[in-house]
Amino acid sequence: MISRYNPSRLALGSLALLGLSGLVWDAMAGPAKKQAETQPSESSISDEYRGLTGEQLWSNNCQRCHNIRPPTMYSNAQWDVIVHHMRVRANITGAEQRAIVDFLKSAR
Amino acid sequence: MKMNRFVYCAVILQALLLLSLAPAMRAAEDAADRAPVSRQEYEELKAEMQALKKELNSLKKEKQAASAQPTQATAPSSRPMAAPAPPAESPKEVASPPSLIPELETLGTTRFLIAGYGEATFEAQNHNISSFEASFNPIFLWELAPKLLFESQIELQLSDSGTDVGLEYAQITYLLNDYITLGAGAMLAPSNIFVERFQALWINKLPDRPLAVYDGFLPETIVGAEIRGGFPIGPTRANYAFYVSNGPALTTNDPGGVGELNFSNFTDNNDNKAVGGRVGFLPVPGVEVGYGFEIARPGDQGSEFARLQSLIQSVDLNVTRDSDFLKGRVDVHAQYAWSKVDDTVYDRTGALGFGPLKFSNKRDGGYAQLAYRPTKVDIEFLRNFEAIVRWDHLNNPPKAPDAIDEERWTLGLDYWLGPSTALKIAYEWDQPNGQPNTNAVLVQAVMGF
Repeated sequence: MISRYNPSRLALGSLALLGLSGLVWDAMAGPAKKQAETQPSESSISDEYRGLTGEQLWSNNCQRCHNIRPPTMYSNAQWDVIVHHMRVRANITGAEQRAIVDFLKSAR
Repeated sequence: MKMNRFVYCAVILQALLLLSLAPAMRAAEDAADRAPVSRQEYEELKAEMQALKKELNSLKKEKQAASAQPTQATAPSSRPMAAPAPPAESPKEVASPPSLIPELETLGTTRFLIAGYGEATFEAQNHNISSFEASFNPIFLWELAPKLLFESQIELQLSDSGTDVGLEYAQITYLLNDYITLGAGAMLAPSNIFVERFQALWINKLPDRPLAVYDGFLPETIVGAEIRGGFPIGPTRANYAFYVSNGPALTTNDPGGVGELNFSNFTDNNDNKAVGGRVGFLPVPGVEVGYGFEIARPGDQGSEFARLQSLIQSVDLNVTRDSDFLKGRVDVHAQYAWSKVDDTVYDRTGALGFGPLKFSNKRDGGYAQLAYRPTKVDIEFLRNFEAIVRWDHLNNPPKAPDAIDEERWTLGLDYWLGPSTALKIAYEWDQPNGQPNTNAVLVQAVMGF
């Protein structure tokens, strides 16, 4: 017999707690950090994250599931949408997303 | 008279002289056009070109800044009401010069893209009629703002009754910060990594999908809400996805599927919601291990099965490595899952004609797949081939009616015409327990876009 507890309440509570934590985290980040997270500022176009270049992050993350597509295959605007989609699907971080997009745009 | 003759002769002679000199003058002009540019002229042109480049770059930056702050750029309060355009005073003012960057002028603040794939498959299976089939699977992506994305996939497939249309997923996601994403809608089950990441046929290396994890006893499309993301842990990385969904429904009336979990329970059969998720860990780039789960109460509301619980668990391993020694890329994907529903008696009174029936409702199954592509060999033609071998199997409860265990081995060979376009051929050894084999040849052409 599987242990008895109410999974709905547990899940809703956990989601609420995680969401609240995220909001607090987001609020604590301050406007400067928020801007850095949403905009490709000059400093974020460094194309690196934790010692890996945007090209390495592109290769490592994309190739884990499928063949990598060349940077010339899509326009800059299309890459923005595709990497946004893949950030959600592959659970990569925002910094990795920005480094990969910067690499793809610079390599076109 | 003599004078007139002299004048006429002079005019004619001048005309002849001009006619004879005209080609020479034209040649002299052409020669002047082809004359080498002086150093000074070259420097002036170069300076002019650099100034144009700077101007273009500054325009691009302005456009990027504007697109990154759409709310500020489009907020009604921050913009004066547009005045009526004055009448054109002259044709010169009406005709604007050709744009240097037409792409920037045509883009709005939202972005839309259609991705997806199409495929055609031929299958010849023992004891079945061979058949072609085809499907089109567009994915619609709308980025309404840099943090807000709507995405949806539709599957269109031909069948005997015409065209089947299926909504694979339709969800809205919001990037809360670098490490947390919130989502809601119909989504591919995060607890089942094969469905979330590998089921698209331009990604799946074989023409068909493995037993158990696809069209098996794991969830595929769920309706609910999720929280997900990834984060670094020192030099390693981890990721997570947790969700609440309507959950599966327990089949209790159909003798052919009694005890099975029906995941197409999109409008739900009770107030209880399923809870699931997956955590993944990447110790080094290219290696990921994960654990997925889902807990639910799948019985109909108010029925004798309402208190039953189901638990589904899954472990997975995914490795991708470029090897100089093997002169190519090696991919390993493996996933194994277990499902359990609390014991109960189905058709207790025998009114449905198959009871009373009681069995231990446990299932398990999964697959392991190894692929090799010689991406580093000298012969370019060979680099496009990829060889695949897969083992997959499914164990059903021994006493469940019409539940047949199955085990398969599949050998495949792909030829990649592009990064997402492939021709695949495979042979499958399929041995359902106690049944004649259903070995099959499969051929598929697929294109991702």
